[in-house]
Amino acid sequence: MSIIEVKELTKYYYIGRNKKIVGLENVSFNVEEGEIYGILGPNGSGKTTCLKLMLGILYPTSGEINILGKDQFNPEMKKNVGFLPENPYYYDYLTGPELLKFYGRLFDLPEKIINERIEKLLYLVKLHEAKKLPLRSYSKGMLERIGVAASLINDPKILILDEPTTGLDPIGCMETRDLLLQLKKEGKTILLSSHFLSEVEKVCDRIAIFHRGYLLATGGLKELIDRYNADGLEDLFVKTIEEFDKKGEK
Amino acid sequence: MKKSWIIGLNTFKESLRKKTLYILLVVALIVIGASKAFSFLTAEEELKMIKDVSFSSIEFFGALIAIFMSLTAISGEIEKRTIYTLFSKPITRQNFFMGKFIGIVLILLLNFFLMSLFFIGLLIFKKSPPDIQVAKTLLLIFIELILIGAITLTVATFASDAFNIIFSFFLYIVGHLISYGNQLVDRTENFVLKGLGKILFTIIPNYENFNIRDKVVVGIEVSRNYIFKTSVYWFLYLVVILLIGSYFIQKREV
Repeated sequence: MSIIEVKELTKYYYIGRNKKIVGLENVSFNVEEGEIYGILGPNGSGKTTCLKLMLGILYPTSGEINILGKDQFNPEMKKNVGFLPENPYYYDYLTGPELLKFYGRLFDLPEKIINERIEKLLYLVKLHEAKKLPLRSYSKGMLERIGVAASLINDPKILILDEPTTGLDPIGCMETRDLLLQLKKEGKTILLSSHFLSEVEKVCDRIAIFHRGYLLATGGLKELIDRYNADGLEDLFVKTIEEFDKKGEK
Repeated sequence: MKKSWIIGLNTFKESLRKKTLYILLVVALIVIGASKAFSFLTAEEELKMIKDVSFSSIEFFGALIAIFMSLTAISGEIEKRTIYTLFSKPITRQNFFMGKFIGIVLILLLNFFLMSLFFIGLLIFKKSPPDIQVAKTLLLIFIELILIGAITLTVATFASDAFNIIFSFFLYIVGHLISYGNQLVDRTENFVLKGLGKILFTIIPNYENFNIRDKVVVGIEVSRNYIFKTSVYWFLYLVVILLIGSYFIQKREV
């Protein structure tokens, strides 16, 4: 069953009156319940734009987004979604628990539940010993981890993660990967944007390849590799992008 | 409303960290304290001087705080990208805007309270405890500051910080000169200018409505009716301004 439906989504950024930049062009895909869906693409391919549109942070030029049967602006839908932005920026004067409490309150959660989840999540992301430190003293990896905790404070059905391993060391990357697989086992649907192919290859059930705002291919990894006669994900990635660029040149 | 309150408290905490706030507050307290320096005047004149300088300082420095704190309340969230995480939560953009407004009101309340407390302390020290006229003057100053903050916050929903700061100060000055402006408009014989002038001076907030300090300092009583009418004017203006802000924040791309 599709839990996320994106239909013919287009986003243009206008510079002045006449010049427009394509953020996304006519993108459609579905995410099934309980799967990890990876959005792949080079920098500037439209991955983050797509996620921001899905969360109602940006307005689409055209197209439809349906998450859990509701549109992307619906606060009730957002109660079931957790989001980790790329290079997470938070209120750096707050401590980890204060940040989680702030976000927890925005979900209308009872204080008791918030406090219980804060304890649990700080252990999960291994930040319980940094409880009293303000976020300004966190390293990049710690910020990424508190971001993961913040995205889980509402125990969401859907988790949207934008480049969750940016800035993490290899062990941090591995731990994040394990966490994603654990969350999948718990029944969560995960939408993951990344340009780390190995990471996507290890955790994703299906993928989408974005380039210059276009969705070039989507499907199961094996299915796509067969379709493009590719030798692994890296080859598939290069082939789809090169094919698109060649068409563009013509 | 609960979510706006949560965002408001966070905005308040964030504003407390801004150095500009403390600099303005300290300068305001120094100026208020300096009003006591005119000891060569008679006791009555000195008291007038303390009241005049204090009311003016609370209003002027309060206005600076209102403008500076509101100016970056929204753009700061966009620049630091904290707005992305916030907008992914189950809040509406109106919750966000009203939260920012609540945060500004709280920070103004704190500063106003500290400045007023210092001023009242001076009055008590001079054995002239504040009367109801002083309270009325302070009340009108406070609601004027809220309006100034709300206007800057609303302009911040669609304009750049640079435009906003110029616009807010321009409005602050013109808003205090509306009676002069109206006199000029009345004198002109050009119908177009007269019409445009009338429209302009109706739209621009008349901050002089909130200024009763000149009367209170010299002992002229200001009626409750005037306070009530001014409060109604303030409330209606505030509602319209906040509605405009809510509209533009809904439209804004972040």
